[in-house]
Amino acid sequence: MSYARFVRQRGGVWDEFESLLAESRAESLSHASLERLAFLYRQVLHDHAALRHRFARTAAAERVSQLALEGTQALRLEPDDHLVGPGRFFTRSFPRAFRAHAAHLGVASGLFVTAALLAFCMTVLRPGIGLALLPPGAVQGLKEGRLWTETVFSVMPPALTSSSIATNNMAVALTAWAGGVLLGLGALHIVLLNGFLLGALLGATWHYALAGELLEFVSAHGPLEITLIIVSAAAGLGMGEALVAARDRPRREALVAAARSALVLLVGCLPWFVVLGFVESFVSPSPDVAAPLKLALGLALEALFLALAWNPSLNEAP
Amino acid sequence: MSSGAPAANDDASQAADRVLALDNVPLDLPIAGAGTRSLAAFIDYFVLGLIMAVCAITAIVVGGYLNLKSFWWAAALVFALFLLEYGFFAGCEIAMAGQTLGKRLVGLRVVSAHGSRPSRAALLIRNAVRLVDLLIGVPLMAFDRNARRIGDRLAGTLVIRTRRAASAIVRRVPRGWTPPQIAVLESFLQRRDELQPEKAEQIARSLLAAITRDDPEFLPADDTFSDPVERLVSGVSRGDAARP
Repeated sequence: MSYARFVRQRGGVWDEFESLLAESRAESLSHASLERLAFLYRQVLHDHAALRHRFARTAAAERVSQLALEGTQALRLEPDDHLVGPGRFFTRSFPRAFRAHAAHLGVASGLFVTAALLAFCMTVLRPGIGLALLPPGAVQGLKEGRLWTETVFSVMPPALTSSSIATNNMAVALTAWAGGVLLGLGALHIVLLNGFLLGALLGATWHYALAGELLEFVSAHGPLEITLIIVSAAAGLGMGEALVAARDRPRREALVAAARSALVLLVGCLPWFVVLGFVESFVSPSPDVAAPLKLALGLALEALFLALAWNPSLNEAP
Repeated sequence: MSSGAPAANDDASQAADRVLALDNVPLDLPIAGAGTRSLAAFIDYFVLGLIMAVCAITAIVVGGYLNLKSFWWAAALVFALFLLEYGFFAGCEIAMAGQTLGKRLVGLRVVSAHGSRPSRAALLIRNAVRLVDLLIGVPLMAFDRNARRIGDRLAGTLVIRTRRAASAIVRRVPRGWTPPQIAVLESFLQRRDELQPEKAEQIARSLLAAITRDDPEFLPADDTFSDPVERLVSGVSRGDAARP
């Protein structure tokens, strides 16, 4: 068949398919039109195959290739493209991802605790290590017997600090998660740095006999905040592992699967940072809330998060 | 399903990945290069910066005008700016079927590795690692055959050029002309208005000479066009259903 005859015979099909695609983009397709679009898609694909083979690089081949591509985008749906509601996400998807990352959570927790203990011991032995992490004003405050947190929370209004703290913590969690793609090194950096900072600051306040005040300050928000950082880092470590050791799957497939699971873990953590922002701004610095109450709140938040994350009612093996 | 082999007819500047569509029909995805993608990203960051500045200025002016004593509006502003910073690209791509404002202007679209519309999870993932891609994304794209940055590798996505559908399809062809010759003729007809008039006339004369040599009956002997471009256009668009 000649090019001209092929174009004359098939041009009508391409025009109809193009107009149906335009309707599809405007989301105004009826059921019958959708069926017609799917029917014509197959014809357009076959025309594309014929043109590509016999009349490559002609305008008709280019046009039909474009139509086939747009038809594929309009009609082919990726299998995982369905959003679950918040209830199902937090009771099913998030606990599944949490359990799947149990090993990474263990590694991240171990590294955090190790870094914190190491920094604490080093700072107790040599206080200069911990004090080097604090600005001069804060060190002066410690010498005068008060924590730097008093200055921060007395200057900024709590409403503003809650938002700043929440967004800052979310940015740290996102960095820990995204850092996983650098062979897991970014996630390792975040978990080790945060562990080291906590240990060093505890050591510094220990040196000035203010560790009790610092522990009281962090008791309401600290446990969950540390857990969320560890969970975000564990998600990043999952991606890092897929890159380093893809096992029996192609690295590309392993990485894509790990990223999807890690994303669920990250998204499940983000709302908790907003809660913690409020707690850290309104409860933690408040002298009106008794220390045991702050500790009880911190432990309750931690228990609630872990209960939701593990979801014992989810009848699946970890 | 990507075969990993470039299309046989594609040259280096027309990189394409090949996927298999329905009935195993191969489909070439016109991969966008690092340059065009960077241009689209530059436009997007410029727009994002403008939106953030407008949001901040509006909030401060309105807050001052209403003499708000509470700082909750400032807290909301901080949160809104954070959402814009981290959610602008993913939000645009989800709402605009794989395009952002910059991508739409430059003519790009995000698709899945199968050539289909990517899932929302994939669009979220490819934009969640933008922070890392700002550091090493461009060199990665430059050295990858499919110009994928880390986000694309994680999400299993590609960025393709949204080509304009060719409109200059000739419905009459001189006898014996091969597809490459037809492609040259159609390419000239498509671009004739973009050429300098003298250059267009020169090419049209060459094409008319080739047509007359190969198929003397193709062009009517009695046409009155003095302009060779018009004569050529008239010749290929003349109604002649009887010709093969």
